[in-house]
Amino acid sequence: MMHQQLQEHIARLKNAGALYVDARWYPFEETNHLLMWNGNLKNVTATRESGVGVRVLYKGAWGFSAASDVSHLGALFDKALDNARIAAERVTFPVRLAEKDAIRASFTSPNRIDPFTVPLADKVAFLQAMDEKLNQPGVSQRICTLTFIRKQIVFMDAEGSEIDKTIVEVFPSLEVMGLDAQGEMHSRKFSPPRMGDTRGWETLDREVFNANAERIVREMNEVRTAENCPRDVRSVILLPGIMFLQTHETIGHALELDRILGYELAFAGGSFVRLSDFGTLRYGSDKLTVRADATIPNSPGSFGYDDDGIPAQNNLLIDHGLLVGAISGRQMVEEANARAGKVIFDGSSGANRATSFYRVPIERMTNINVDPGNDGTLDDIVSKTERGIILDGDKSWSIGSNREQFHFATDIGWLVEDGRVTHVVKNSTYQGETVKFYNSLSAVGDPSTWEVCYVANCGKGQPNQVMQLGHGVPVCRFDHVRIGE
Amino acid sequence: MKEQILQTLCDLRAYALTKGVEATFLLHEEDSYLMRFANSAISLNTNEHLIRLEITAYRDRQRASYELITALDKVDEMRQGVDMAAEMVQHAQPLSYRPTIPLYTTSFSDESAYDPALATLGNHERLAFFNQAVAGLETDEIQLSGIFSCGANTLAQINTRSEHTQYFKTSDAQITMVLSHTALKWEVSAEQSAQKKADLNPDVLRRDLAFLLEHYRRDATQQLPLGTYNIVFGPAATAELLGILGFIGYNGGLMKRGYSFLSEEQIGQRVFSPQFTLTDDPTRRETFPFRRDLTGMPRRPFPLFVAGVFQSFVWPQDEADEFAMQPTGHTVPHTSIVMQGGDVAANTLPELVALPREHDVLYIPYLHYMNIVNPSKGLVTGSSRFGALLLKKDGSVAVPYNVRLTQSLLDIFGDRLAWLSQAQVVANTSSSYDARNPQASLVPAFLQVNGLEISHSNSSY
Repeated sequence: MMHQQLQEHIARLKNAGALYVDARWYPFEETNHLLMWNGNLKNVTATRESGVGVRVLYKGAWGFSAASDVSHLGALFDKALDNARIAAERVTFPVRLAEKDAIRASFTSPNRIDPFTVPLADKVAFLQAMDEKLNQPGVSQRICTLTFIRKQIVFMDAEGSEIDKTIVEVFPSLEVMGLDAQGEMHSRKFSPPRMGDTRGWETLDREVFNANAERIVREMNEVRTAENCPRDVRSVILLPGIMFLQTHETIGHALELDRILGYELAFAGGSFVRLSDFGTLRYGSDKLTVRADATIPNSPGSFGYDDDGIPAQNNLLIDHGLLVGAISGRQMVEEANARAGKVIFDGSSGANRATSFYRVPIERMTNINVDPGNDGTLDDIVSKTERGIILDGDKSWSIGSNREQFHFATDIGWLVEDGRVTHVVKNSTYQGETVKFYNSLSAVGDPSTWEVCYVANCGKGQPNQVMQLGHGVPVCRFDHVRIGE
Repeated sequence: MKEQILQTLCDLRAYALTKGVEATFLLHEEDSYLMRFANSAISLNTNEHLIRLEITAYRDRQRASYELITALDKVDEMRQGVDMAAEMVQHAQPLSYRPTIPLYTTSFSDESAYDPALATLGNHERLAFFNQAVAGLETDEIQLSGIFSCGANTLAQINTRSEHTQYFKTSDAQITMVLSHTALKWEVSAEQSAQKKADLNPDVLRRDLAFLLEHYRRDATQQLPLGTYNIVFGPAATAELLGILGFIGYNGGLMKRGYSFLSEEQIGQRVFSPQFTLTDDPTRRETFPFRRDLTGMPRRPFPLFVAGVFQSFVWPQDEADEFAMQPTGHTVPHTSIVMQGGDVAANTLPELVALPREHDVLYIPYLHYMNIVNPSKGLVTGSSRFGALLLKKDGSVAVPYNVRLTQSLLDIFGDRLAWLSQAQVVANTSSSYDARNPQASLVPAFLQVNGLEISHSNSSY
């Protein structure tokens, strides 16, 4: 019934002059969030929402409208068309959409145990067990969280596509904090890398969590008694627990085609990358190969089909240091090719996504992965490092508006001298310029060092949208980096 | 609509009472409109009408919430929400403290910050505003980006302890305009905040954009050497810094958790410059204020720092419950931060540029992507953006490439604070993550801090 109504309204707007119409109906989107802080279950929250978002292209301009009340669908579609008509009064580059096939398909993210079928008591018991593990000397703050998402999205467009997606996600995290002798707070976190080929409740492996709970307490206590990170220029060896964020901020966001084309200039920012850089810019050293891979099963950056109805893809972004690809949707590739006066992009890369029914799709990362290399294990890389520092844990991150420079602080650092780890340091930071930094990439760990990490709260766009995605990254070493500032 | 919202809440309360459920209800209605510009076109024109209902159930020390996006006629769905919250709370682990369920002794309604003319501003009016604000400033190379966001925001409450309700309704608009050079990649920006339609003034935006544009087109560019600088912050940068101060400074709960650079021993002591006075002042309508908090506590001007002397931490109800403190009326979606101005008659950008100066001064209107490097030291980092200027001591002006500051708030608002403008201006600090929540701070138009270190300097735009 709902499908038929949506199709009828899509056809009606096409007949009224719309160039393109699509609708995303969310029969449901549910979340469940639990936060335990120092043993107090501060938050137990469940949410449920449903509604329809309608996107209309009219004379080269977008209009959008959304509502949770679907009893007046006709008015909702009319409003979206009205919004597009106004937008069409100020068009400088009429929107065109890259070609695609009409697709009728479905996608379900792999999970063996749907977390929404797990009793709340079991979830609370999991947090209690973790909290007890973290409750150790030196720890003043213990934070354990579980977040679950389940949603169904029905996508229909004027080109004949109809796609039904059901997506389930699980996001757990542990964090400990403690004060050092000077009264400074330090923290250490654990968010499990994605293992196996599913992403349901079954991924919460107690043994893995127990082992890592002990590890982060031990490491945080080491930081509490450590000396400050020196102000120096050294090789930095980034473990996956910070390499994922480095990749996210200075490769992922920099290669979103809407940023490159100036569509985020009023808020999130632009990109130092220019259209003329594709195929010519040495983004990094030969050791750097990066891809946008929406096909790995266990990561939130895999969703079957994007909100343009484009199937998931695995595309190269950087090939042995050379910039070759971007994160894109149907609109941006057409505009980029037209502005460049040549074909840079051969179709959408399937990365146009909205965070909810009431937000419009924009370019979002899928899984932006750095290929593993052939420089061996972490120990192998350390053994070949003269003066370095191993860094892990995302404490703070701040990036220039064109993603041209950055400053990161990490939870922990281990100094390396003459191929050996010497001692832990606190308040470790590093900073650099993006292209110079990636061109100093001198070692990339083998597949044994590669982990799929996730970002549960990537913010972008106006109105703002929070998106979930992933990063598969190995251990990487960069040379001549400023640290300790 | 108001009557329908309040009646819905009363019905839900009655339903909860019949089920023996102790509960609080918070209803949020937003009617949001956003026109977004990029590359001198409207890149998106959108609106959303959403009603959110948050139901929190209590059972002694247990607490659980169920939230849904709904419609007022979906009575069964909302009642199911009550049942869900009641079911969840059975399984919630008891807290170590007893959470307070507020008792509203009277009903309260505040629509004084609601202007229907602003809330219902039409598409054509928004577009006309933008067109007027950039008239004659766009070229093939210099293109417009920005947003015109406006709407109405309603919060309504009831709980099972009494039949009284609370109702808050505001209207708001946030305008951001950016002119950027497509080839050179520089950007200049101007912003405006409105609580009522009469606050809107496209000519002021045009004046500020034109002034910056002239300098960015005409003046020489410069990569600044690393080192220390005397820096003037514009209102957006100041508001951003004050926002972080509210997080890692005077937030009582975070202080108790060790995530603050201030301590209880510092109450009554001078921690910042004698020129620094900061108040949470809900009498200022420009800040979209709450005159009562969500527990029903009346909100009055609340001094945070007076002449640099730290006055008090703020204690929202739940943090007060947990740490056995007295709540301070800060159980609100946002506070009304007002920073007192000073005695320097530089209240507009042309006046700032015209000020006589003995040393070079770096003007930073906006700090991009700020983050907290070390909360215990108040250490933050961020980059300049949107129209920085180097005001040279000889009176000339250069355009600096963007720079990074990594500095403690104790330095920025401490004894290095040189002067503040007489005039206060509104800095809209709203973000549209999650539910609409318009907020703004009143800050000096400019403030100068001497001897701040630049830790990175870009070599181009």
